[in-house]
Amino acid sequence: MPIIVSEPVTERGRKDARRHREKQKEAIINKLPEIIADESIITQRKNKIIKIPIRSIDLPRFRPKTGDESEGIGQGSGQPGDVIGHRPGQGQPGEPGQEPGEDYIETEVEIEEIIELMLEDLGLPKLEEKEVKELLVELGFKVGGIVRSGSWPLLDRRATAQEGMRRFWVFLETIKAETGFDELTCFNALKQANGLLEKAVEIIKQNQVTFKEPAITPFPIFETGDLRYREIQQDTENQSNAVIIAMRDVSGSMNDMKVYLVSAMLFWLVRWLENVYKKVEIRFVAHDVTARIVSEEDFFKIGSSGGTNCYTAYELANGLIDTEYPTSRWNVYVWHFSDGEDFSPERTIEELGKLINKDVNMVGYGEVQPDADLGLFKRDRSELWQKFKEHFSLKETQDNGLGIAEGDKELPLLCVRLMEREQILPALKAFLKKDRWTQ
Amino acid sequence: MKKQEVERLIEIEKRIKEIAEESGLLTTEITFEITTAQRVLEGMAYEFPVNFSHWTFGRDYEKYRTIYEHTGAGIPYEQVWNFDKPKAFLVETNPLALNIMVIAHVYGHVDFFLANRYLKHGRSFSNVAEEARNASRRFKEYEARYGQNEVEKIIDAGMSIQWHQNPDPFFEEQDEEVVRERLMAFERAQLERFEDVKSKFKKQETKEEVEQIEKRLEKLSAKTPPEPTHDLLNYIIKKSPKPLKPWMVDVLTVIRNQARSLAPNRKTKGLDEGWATYWHVRIMRRLFNEKLLTEGEFSTSLKAEEHGVFNKFNASVTQESKAGFNWYRIYLALFENIKERWDKGQFGREYEEERNAFKHSRWDTAVGLGNQKIFQVRSFYSDRMAVEEFFTDEFIREQQLYIWMGLPGDNGEVVYVIAEDDPEVIREILKNQFTYYGVPLVKVENGNYNSQNQLLLKHVWNGYELDKKYLNATLDKVYYLWGKKVFLGTIVDGKEAEISFTHEKKQKT
Repeated sequence: MPIIVSEPVTERGRKDARRHREKQKEAIINKLPEIIADESIITQRKNKIIKIPIRSIDLPRFRPKTGDESEGIGQGSGQPGDVIGHRPGQGQPGEPGQEPGEDYIETEVEIEEIIELMLEDLGLPKLEEKEVKELLVELGFKVGGIVRSGSWPLLDRRATAQEGMRRFWVFLETIKAETGFDELTCFNALKQANGLLEKAVEIIKQNQVTFKEPAITPFPIFETGDLRYREIQQDTENQSNAVIIAMRDVSGSMNDMKVYLVSAMLFWLVRWLENVYKKVEIRFVAHDVTARIVSEEDFFKIGSSGGTNCYTAYELANGLIDTEYPTSRWNVYVWHFSDGEDFSPERTIEELGKLINKDVNMVGYGEVQPDADLGLFKRDRSELWQKFKEHFSLKETQDNGLGIAEGDKELPLLCVRLMEREQILPALKAFLKKDRWTQ
Repeated sequence: MKKQEVERLIEIEKRIKEIAEESGLLTTEITFEITTAQRVLEGMAYEFPVNFSHWTFGRDYEKYRTIYEHTGAGIPYEQVWNFDKPKAFLVETNPLALNIMVIAHVYGHVDFFLANRYLKHGRSFSNVAEEARNASRRFKEYEARYGQNEVEKIIDAGMSIQWHQNPDPFFEEQDEEVVRERLMAFERAQLERFEDVKSKFKKQETKEEVEQIEKRLEKLSAKTPPEPTHDLLNYIIKKSPKPLKPWMVDVLTVIRNQARSLAPNRKTKGLDEGWATYWHVRIMRRLFNEKLLTEGEFSTSLKAEEHGVFNKFNASVTQESKAGFNWYRIYLALFENIKERWDKGQFGREYEEERNAFKHSRWDTAVGLGNQKIFQVRSFYSDRMAVEEFFTDEFIREQQLYIWMGLPGDNGEVVYVIAEDDPEVIREILKNQFTYYGVPLVKVENGNYNSQNQLLLKHVWNGYELDKKYLNATLDKVYYLWGKKVFLGTIVDGKEAEISFTHEKKQKT
């Protein structure tokens, strides 16, 4: 029998495809330090969804290097120089493009997924919303219910009329019960008495009822307390809000590499907080000898010049919290990045102390020292770093060259010292460690 | 599929076989299995009807499935294996006319399998299909016993070098001692030439030569491998000091055998597909003329529709690809071109030396050798040979082949432009592609390097450096199998270099 109808078979393909996806995920996790240090992602910070092409995983093989990877044989009409196709630009320049003839599928990973993977990889539990401070937001007014007192414009006519009618029937029944007369007599008496109960009873008792009405037509009777008013309530909602006060040293000593490290750190920190909080506000503070609030654009653009007074930035942060972001209503994160050169570390410590006393969620100090190991000065930690450490009795640890100094349970201060781009991920990890002070 | 349809297919399959035989195609009993699209996609990804589990197969399966399910393109229709009893899939949900076309196409392939010297050889190793089925079971047991990761590591390592075999598919690997004996016998024979000379003349040069030969003999007696070998897996399986456990040897042997049996297919893919397409077009034409597709008890009014379905699929199989090399189209055209040329006598010195362009293009001696020639090509040629002999300037121009290139445009855009249409250049590129199939030649030079059982591989220079991106990762796989430091002699940035690899340490020396 040359043609047979086969039995369904097991789904081996799907199982092995899952294994491939696992390997892809592994590859992404392994590449995380590179991915998050990728400048092209960071410079795109205006776009919320950023896609990173992750190619299918392949086994390594000895392959010939054929020079330009982007070439091949095709078929059709045309002369040398004719355009046969385009591939639109992607998020990652420098990535060799997908040639039109090549048949692999790129997996695209959204930035959210990368954050998820980071959280997974770092063992950082995602903050539950209930764990963060809840903030009551006033949305305006709304009609909440009906009450017995209020101002005239808020009188609820419908509800009041209902009360009036109820009062009429109650009175009528009361008169019947008290006098023993029939309903129509009682009604006429009530009408004659203009709705006053006692007067109506009296009229009947004195036999003064004039039978003007041939039938009962109910009318509303109001006594004090029968009026109904609308109630106005404030409309509120619980939201989790956070403010990041991002502060950057723009003094003359901040070179390109330092600026890059700062940008990369802030980019991911902001992304992460956005993931956790419904609403994140970011205020940007730049400082040299004085501090000022700047726009996000300027924050990263400002050229470096001048001397350094770090305390001015902390002073400004204190002011911002007092006036706009009271810690009773806001989750406040203050992050300061500098290379640690400071004219007046004593005053910086003073301002930092004030900040911590305000019950902020966290003060993070990132020191970028890309040239620390160049040997010329062999100066390892900055004076500012040392002062922070001594004054707040921080505990310093090392993690693959990354210096971490943190306060104890009562002191939400964390300092990290990073020297190269590979340390961005570990530095982020240190920054984002879950609620290290609240437990 | 309805019973009626199956019965009709059986009927038509019989007729296709008759037509194939009348046309001179070799036939045998082919098993056509009617199955789901998924099963066919799986067959495509796993290389065999049933094969062991591996993530690269899963990845390919998912890729094919995604293309099929989301774009509607890439309808799986053709999957046939070069077995002693060839087996092919038909997809139950495909239109009947497509399945008929597939049967016709498969008869073309089967003739090619039976007649082509490379594919005949591909069947000679062993019953790979049965081996793959059994391997799938055994590997599952290994997974249960040694853990999925351990098994995967060995499969990964084996597959990453599985295509490094002797480029001559007919080459038989010999036992190391046999090779040694052969090489030493040769040297000894050299030595005999000097037997008399040695005593009588004692010339300085002769003495040196003798000493050199003796040194070589000395070396040969201990050298492993006695001469460099292309078959990386074979050598590793036999000689690895790791040492490899029996189950690892089993896994590697299966992987090596599969690559060996599939290599002939890679060398003839173009001709194979072109040949099958050439014949399905002709067989279908006959069927429509005979009205077998449209008459009889099964259907009477489908003619136009079925013809339409066939035309649509045939066109999509053979469509022009702006940025790709469509084997089906180009090799179909090649067979048609060869047939026409040999029918008209457009070959040989007289034709080639005809300088009158008009006469040259209208050349027709009506010798009618076309059919004979194409059958000869299908029997004895590989893709590379076909490129060398039949991809003439005229053919390349007629097919409008070109080299394209991606150039950077604005905002990261890539613009693809035609870079070159010189037939000479295109032919060279194709020849190169069909010689190495992207597998650079790498030989085992020394299995006892530095007298420490280290492994020295040598990249045989053919004009291309190795891609650095994959170099260390691949050496890591070899290292995993060898268990001792691995060296690779190659050329890096124009300079000779020996790259060494031990675990976690990568350095150039």
